Amino acid sequence: MKEKNLKKVFSISGLVFFLIITVRLFSMDNERPVKYDLKVELLPENQALQAQETIVWTNQSHDYVQDIQFHLYWNAFKNELSTVAKESRMEKVFKRYRVKKDEWGWIKITSLTTAEGQDLMPAASFMSPDEPANPDDQTVLRVVLPRPVAPGQSIALNLEFQAKVPRNGLRAGYYKDGFFISQWFPKPGVYEEGRGWNCHQYHLNSEFFADFADFRVKITVPEKFVVGACGEEVEKTVDSNTGKATYTYVQQNIHDFAWTASPRFIKIERLFKADEEVTAEEYRQVADLLDLTPEEIKLPDVRMVLLIEKQHQSQIERHLKALKAALKYYGLWFGPYPYRTITMVDPPFRTGSGGMEYPTLFTAGTSVLLDKKVLSPEGVIIHEFGHNYWYGMVANNEFEEAWLDEGINTYSTGKVSAAAYGPGKLSMRLNGLPLTWFIRMPAIYDWQLDRLLSPSVAKLDPIVTPSWKFNNSASYSLNVYQRASTGLYTLERLLGEKTMARIMRTFQMSYRFQHPKTEDFIKVANEISGKNLNWFFEQFFFSSQDFDYGIASVDTGEKPTKFQGIFDDLAIKNFNKPKPEPGKKKTKIYETTITLRRYGEAIIGPEEKLKLRVEFENGQVETREWDGQGRWARFTFEKPCRVKTAVLDPDSIWLVDSNLSNNSYSSCGAKNKILSASSSLLWLMQNFLLTVSGLW
Amino acid sequence: MKIAYYLSSGIKQGLSRFKLAVYLWLIILGFSVVAIAPVSSIIKNNLGNFYPGRPPLLPFELHLVEVFMANQNIFQPYFSLVLTIILVFGLLTVFLNAGVFGRMTDREKKINFRDFLNDGCRYFWQFFLTVLISLPFFVLLLGLYRLLGTPVKAWTAEATTEWPFVIGSNLRMIIFILLWTIFKMLFDLVRIIIVSESKKLLPSLGSALRFLKNHFFKLWWLDLIIGFGFVIVSAIFLMAGRFLSTSHLAGVLVIIILSQAYLLFRLFTRLVFIGVETSYYSENRGAQ
Repeated sequence: MKEKNLKKVFSISGLVFFLIITVRLFSMDNERPVKYDLKVELLPENQALQAQETIVWTNQSHDYVQDIQFHLYWNAFKNELSTVAKESRMEKVFKRYRVKKDEWGWIKITSLTTAEGQDLMPAASFMSPDEPANPDDQTVLRVVLPRPVAPGQSIALNLEFQAKVPRNGLRAGYYKDGFFISQWFPKPGVYEEGRGWNCHQYHLNSEFFADFADFRVKITVPEKFVVGACGEEVEKTVDSNTGKATYTYVQQNIHDFAWTASPRFIKIERLFKADEEVTAEEYRQVADLLDLTPEEIKLPDVRMVLLIEKQHQSQIERHLKALKAALKYYGLWFGPYPYRTITMVDPPFRTGSGGMEYPTLFTAGTSVLLDKKVLSPEGVIIHEFGHNYWYGMVANNEFEEAWLDEGINTYSTGKVSAAAYGPGKLSMRLNGLPLTWFIRMPAIYDWQLDRLLSPSVAKLDPIVTPSWKFNNSASYSLNVYQRASTGLYTLERLLGEKTMARIMRTFQMSYRFQHPKTEDFIKVANEISGKNLNWFFEQFFFSSQDFDYGIASVDTGEKPTKFQGIFDDLAIKNFNKPKPEPGKKKTKIYETTITLRRYGEAIIGPEEKLKLRVEFENGQVETREWDGQGRWARFTFEKPCRVKTAVLDPDSIWLVDSNLSNNSYSSCGAKNKILSASSSLLWLMQNFLLTVSGLW
Repeated sequence: MKIAYYLSSGIKQGLSRFKLAVYLWLIILGFSVVAIAPVSSIIKNNLGNFYPGRPPLLPFELHLVEVFMANQNIFQPYFSLVLTIILVFGLLTVFLNAGVFGRMTDREKKINFRDFLNDGCRYFWQFFLTVLISLPFFVLLLGLYRLLGTPVKAWTAEATTEWPFVIGSNLRMIIFILLWTIFKMLFDLVRIIIVSESKKLLPSLGSALRFLKNHFFKLWWLDLIIGFGFVIVSAIFLMAGRFLSTSHLAGVLVIIILSQAYLLFRLFTRLVFIGVETSYYSENRGAQ
């Protein structure tokens, strides 16, 4: 098919696709593959849970399923032989994954029967699905079923289990009487048709993957505890004899359930009133951006629940303001928030559970002393709330393709933070004191920091890598967060803000309550943009190559007028040469040669061009283009003056460029800035020598 | 206690021998220039013809970080160079301290570089031994710090809010600084005795310890007052730096001048410390 026709087909199909998606109605009543009924009691004196669980699992595939596989995440903290402990040791996160005797965490199923009462415990065994195999890991339990579950059929299982809360189980933990309880119950993996169970063991560098489910959870705690959990609280009963309170939470269409309990929480409830938070003009602007009507992007009201530690109560409004901004912009840009509540938890002190997402609940994280210009609690709140969209509703497999939620959400967080707050200062602290009170720091946008950090791991791993297969934790986090986000910012600049906004909304709305993969995102990007962007993802997401184009040299000088040698047509030349007018000064001609180079292996797409913008001393501007396919290109200019500035990629599209400092040339340079930087370094060195010498 | 007398005496001594601060400043400047030359050259090579754009895409500081990240490979050999410079400078410091103490305790107020060098040579060995003998005292200091920090640590370990951590960690830092001032005061006194009474190291150490037995709190109090004044001036300097812009050459030059003036102030403070300690010791040594 001819290129022009191809583009046309892409644009038409993109439009149709977009229209189908945007008019699609999502019902919370769709049948989910799993239903949970959980009853759990917290025994704070032993840091333990005593629980009963009923699971109804429906086989939505066309396979006959012989077994069921459960995640038992807390066994990762049971001993030094778990995969998490081994990986921690390898990473040198911990010299040995060792805690005090009573601080290990574990989960033990004490009873497992079918609805008919058949005991399945003898059919249960631990397994280690990922390579390298670890037979000592107990985070995945396989249970062979008495008979296969036929397509469309369900199986109900009754479980009883005990669990010891790990002191600091990466995302769950306790400290004194504060508890954060996540990944705490036996949870089936995701059954994938034709491929079997997707149920990875718990890894140091991985998060989670589970199927959408309906939850009904009863939580019993001592009455003094304040409780928060995923979903809506529908009932609270107090037993005056035992001094215990039981809370019932219900939520449909989520794939995880976390809760928290601490006597030191203050509970605040407010309503996000969409009509007060979003003006008609804002609806109109976003509707224009998305090619939708303002009615189609109307936001619902949402009940906001904040559980905040008493020590941080002066920051209640700061927390709620950030949550409102997140509800507003995520809702406007990516689609309305479909649940009725959102619970924000300032995590219990020293439980190691801050900055984590769960459906309809997330943990933030703050400090008692804060600089107003450092947007660290705001950034965390916006990011973790945003996971309700990327991971919560668009529920990718975080084990296998973490970038799909972390990268997209880092990109989204940056956009929301910029719209709501503008640039913020980096957080730097010493002994709990914000250093920004004393030292001047530049205010920066998230994307500026993301693009600065991402090149450091570009050559280590591709972004699309299973979480436990990254070279190390730094490569995992910088690749899936910052490098992926920088890739998306580049895509936005390449396609334009409008197209990118439509891609993001379409991806969100078409894969809500599903488990999309990277190829699904690429499909949406291609269809909405009307371009074949496969090369983009190949270069920046599936490969580990450095992208660095730059100006290698700029040579400018007076063009010689006299040449030595033998010239056959000299007479003719002299004859044709116009005689200079008397009294008129001879115009000098300057020849400027600019050499561009591709320093990295990564390459721009076959249809893309790199722009070179050259400004001359007389104010004249010229722009040239390079296809960037070769290793270098040279451009020559003849002008009556020298070059003043030259900028490669003047529109700053290629934020993935690992070194933007070599993308420009100026005849004057940034002398003041260099002098200032060098003198600051000198001053720091002088102070350092003075201090270590003891001369002062 | 004649606080004002000792302080003014120390300040006068410092001012009259300000040339010493200038000598030290020049020497440190020379070492620092050598130490930062490779980094400075990388910045110049990478950003010498850099055009930030209008408006700039990134704050200049991020371009600096980018350049450092792009040139990471030079940092390992560079740190070896800096370490060598620190070691050489450390040895030189013994010599410089000898020169400073020699001139500060001399009745002759007129300072010249030759006398400074002479004193540096004359007392070098004794001062070198002082450094060696101060090491077990430093270990003692660390032990004491650990001991004093234990209840604070225990308090913060049991905390249920962040406040005890903030207060505790800063308290421990203050404890360390206070212990450090005692350590410094003791060995300043040892050096003053070595120079002013031409004693050997161990007798000087004995004299210093005996002197501090009776005058510890008075002399320490004087040192703390000077230290407090120094902290105040440093804070003002840091605050002033926040309001100066680097976008114009004039602003950059003002910052450079102020920064170097601050270094001279740091060195001058050191002279005041020695001046006050010398003055206090010479006034009270008979009254031990």
